Amino acid sequence: MVFSELLKKNFVILDGAMGTMLQKSGMEIGEIPELLGITNPDMIIDIHKAYINAGAQIIYTNTFGANRHKLNGHSVNEVISAAIKNGKSAVAGTDCLVALDIGPIGQLLEPTGKLSFEEAYDIFKEQVIAGKDADLIVIETMTDLYEIKAALLAAKENSSLPVMCTMTFEENMRTFTGCGVSSMALTLEGLGADAIGINCSLGPRELYPVVKELCGLTSLPVVIKPNAGLPDPLTNLYDVTPHEFAEHMLEFLKLGVKIFGGCCGTTPEFIRELSDILKDKKPHERKFNILPAVCSPANTVFIDQPRIIGERINPTGKKVFQQALKDGNIDYILNQAIEQVHAGADILDVNVGLPGIDEKAMMIRTIKAVQSVTDVPLQIDSTVPEVLEAALRVYNGKPIVNSVNGEAETMETILPLVKKYGAAVIGLTLDKNGIPQKAEARFEIAEKIMEKALSYGIKKQDIYIDCLCLTASTEQEAVLETLKAVRMVKEKLGLKTILGVSNISFGLPNRELINHNFLTMALTYGLDLCIINPNVDSMTGAVRAFKLLSNIDKNSIEYINAYGGEKISQPIKKEADIDIFYAIENGLKNDGARITKELLETHDTMDIINNMLIPALDKAGSRFENGKIFLPQLILSAGVAQAAFEVIKEKLIKDNAAPVNKGKIVIATVKGDIHDIGKNIVKVLLENYGYTVIDLGRDVDYQCVVDAVKENNAKLVGLSALMTTTLKSMENTINLIRENALDCKIMVGGAVLTPDYALKIGADYYAKDAKESVDIAKKVLS
Amino acid sequence: MISLKSIDKNEVYRYLGYKDSIPDEKVCEIIDECEQKLLKEISPRYIYRVFDAEKVGEQIKLKNAPDILKGNDINHHLEGCEKIAVFAATLTEKTDKIIRAAQINDMPSAVIFDRVANAAIEQVCDEIEKEVMKSFPEYNQTWRFSPGYGDFPLEIQSELLNLIDAPKKIGLTLTDSLLLIPQKSVTAVFGITKNKIIKKKQSCNICNLRESCTFRKGGTHCGF
Repeated sequence: MVFSELLKKNFVILDGAMGTMLQKSGMEIGEIPELLGITNPDMIIDIHKAYINAGAQIIYTNTFGANRHKLNGHSVNEVISAAIKNGKSAVAGTDCLVALDIGPIGQLLEPTGKLSFEEAYDIFKEQVIAGKDADLIVIETMTDLYEIKAALLAAKENSSLPVMCTMTFEENMRTFTGCGVSSMALTLEGLGADAIGINCSLGPRELYPVVKELCGLTSLPVVIKPNAGLPDPLTNLYDVTPHEFAEHMLEFLKLGVKIFGGCCGTTPEFIRELSDILKDKKPHERKFNILPAVCSPANTVFIDQPRIIGERINPTGKKVFQQALKDGNIDYILNQAIEQVHAGADILDVNVGLPGIDEKAMMIRTIKAVQSVTDVPLQIDSTVPEVLEAALRVYNGKPIVNSVNGEAETMETILPLVKKYGAAVIGLTLDKNGIPQKAEARFEIAEKIMEKALSYGIKKQDIYIDCLCLTASTEQEAVLETLKAVRMVKEKLGLKTILGVSNISFGLPNRELINHNFLTMALTYGLDLCIINPNVDSMTGAVRAFKLLSNIDKNSIEYINAYGGEKISQPIKKEADIDIFYAIENGLKNDGARITKELLETHDTMDIINNMLIPALDKAGSRFENGKIFLPQLILSAGVAQAAFEVIKEKLIKDNAAPVNKGKIVIATVKGDIHDIGKNIVKVLLENYGYTVIDLGRDVDYQCVVDAVKENNAKLVGLSALMTTTLKSMENTINLIRENALDCKIMVGGAVLTPDYALKIGADYYAKDAKESVDIAKKVLS
Repeated sequence: MISLKSIDKNEVYRYLGYKDSIPDEKVCEIIDECEQKLLKEISPRYIYRVFDAEKVGEQIKLKNAPDILKGNDINHHLEGCEKIAVFAATLTEKTDKIIRAAQINDMPSAVIFDRVANAAIEQVCDEIEKEVMKSFPEYNQTWRFSPGYGDFPLEIQSELLNLIDAPKKIGLTLTDSLLLIPQKSVTAVFGITKNKIIKKKQSCNICNLRESCTFRKGGTHCGF
């Protein structure tokens, strides 16, 4: 018997809990359960047999935590091999299958935790290879979409066994890392899971709404393995009886669930009741409707109405952006991301291609960083297949690939990647002969792309066609051809359409007016995905207004949310009376930027910095020191200076002038420590004083600090640690800097540090707060 | 299920370094916004178990559980208690993400989110204590004591989390350097007894942070 044959039966019955049975069999508290497969194989075999006798057709090996991290030095291969041997011995003489069970690693993945996606993949890969003799692989009890993606990829790439994936949801319909049911379904089905479902955390009654939603969102067989109700927090005992459990499971049957089992608190009795109750039942046909959609873990964007794709993360024609890429300045890119999301973008396009930089490395870094601060899905934009694949690997959720065109070669390279990673894809209606003039010819290319994509197994709803917008000033007659093609693709092929709009007005005055009107026209022709600059109010507004007027935005809710609550704040002082000092003192960021722009017309940049920004900051600093103002106000002031600095920096880049640099400072949160808000405040303040800050981030290796100091010839290093447990790392970092005899001073700070301790571990300075780090920098770098 | 309706502003002011004063209007406005956003976005996760206490020699132990009550201070603290509650609580990854995102272009809000979250997780702990004590109406309780206080070692954190299945049940994990992740999380134990609690004096003497504490430097304390 193999899994695919088993699926042809009316139902598939899984086993119940392993942990509950181990405790009943006398496992000691604190023992590593997976090791029992080696030390007490009979105990495990007996449990498997009890489930098989109760009616289970698939048993899960006792390997839930059999990973490098949890086994604590024991061999993964040894433990898993023994577990599979035990499973095989239990199923001998039956048709039952043995599933290699893989649970969470037990460490949180990046960005919240420290474990990288790539490390997680390696950990799972080791388990998959060790479990090669199983009949199938089960990845279960996952709460983090990123972790289950790593596990599923590891399974698919290192084995040919079928894979069942189940995640754990709470009553709020999300996993506790915030993953929604739709994001789970889209991502796991896209990555090629063979069955998906829900296990653990709640009883069958509480899980009903979660399973109901899932059943409507996937074409795969659905698995359900609930707990025996909810545990009593005082006693840890579960509250549902085997019979009640089985009765509840009948409700899932009506939803079209195919695979049934039990999780925590269930025993062979539960599985017996379950198989008895299902025995003479007929399966129900499942109704599902998979809409076109892309997602991040917490946010699914259905393409069932016009959506805005922010186009700003793209260096083309933007000097400041190009400079940021050359400097590896990820904060600049993240700022672009957040700004667009606040402005109303539903999806963000990410393009970091620039000659002379390592696009692949930058793309991986950007995707991870943008996903760490926003929930909008991303559109991966590159012409290099290798870059696309790297991005598809590390993307958490289901992205869009931008793009393929009608040329066979690009389709043959890129479409298999789109299929493998379960993405949506944009097809450009051009080929080796360029962009056809006529709508009919563009339609033909769209059709060709669709056929090809379908042949690779990509679903129709995941193909979006870009009929390409030409410049109206040079090809005026082509404008309507584009729109006509949009309508044809939409109506005749039934595909979603996408269009980059801004190009239309190139070379014309008042571009915004043309862009805005063209966008509205395109929407009426059926455009679904609008690639625009969402920071331009009239563009975002056009989409919102269209949705209202075409009865998509029911009761104008979205529209009113966007515009109804606008506060007209009363300026305390008239605009003309505000100077840069007043702006900084009162935390008026926008005024600060505006005034700086004006000042730059009459003043030299260094004059503004040295005679205005710094004295104003000094004043705020000394008021902070004297207890006249507190941390929030100091940071508000710093924020204004930061905005002013941005304006200055932009001007310098545009003028091709040398950047402001009063000296380089390397800062880091030490190895093992991930609390970095304090370090980030220090960074903002130091930058405001014109220092170039090389921020190495958090959890930074000792050697990495040394390398950065050498490479930048920095004369000052700032180290931060927040926990007593990480002070040792601080000391080690200082020691390594000293061993390398680097000519630099070291300042340290952090909640648990004291001046005495700072001296003891060899630092030159102790900074009690961000303000003091500036004083130290002035002293050292004067 | 615990869900907070509001967050204690006075605590937030204190965490932000305002001693007895109230922040200006602008800062108060940001605090209100941060409070509203956090209340809307986060649902705290927590788990607890109550164990019987037993005395083995001079040491207090949890019955049928690994020995996590190491050190003199925790033993002293739980002296005479018949039951011991062990709990863990977290504001989840969502809070980390909110704070992380605000740091990109709105540092004032980031700092305020951070402090509002500190106040929130403490309130969650207060609510957990109340919830536990509902099952013990006749009993009194000690205040909560966390690993890292006094000589109650941080090193038991891992065993404590596993004891109540916190990684699996609420997604609370530990790094090699014994940091809890998600960041806004607490683990603690408290004693439950029919006896009268002899008010042990809470003071800074027991605290490892006493030398560097910003509250102490400012002539106040954290409120214990």
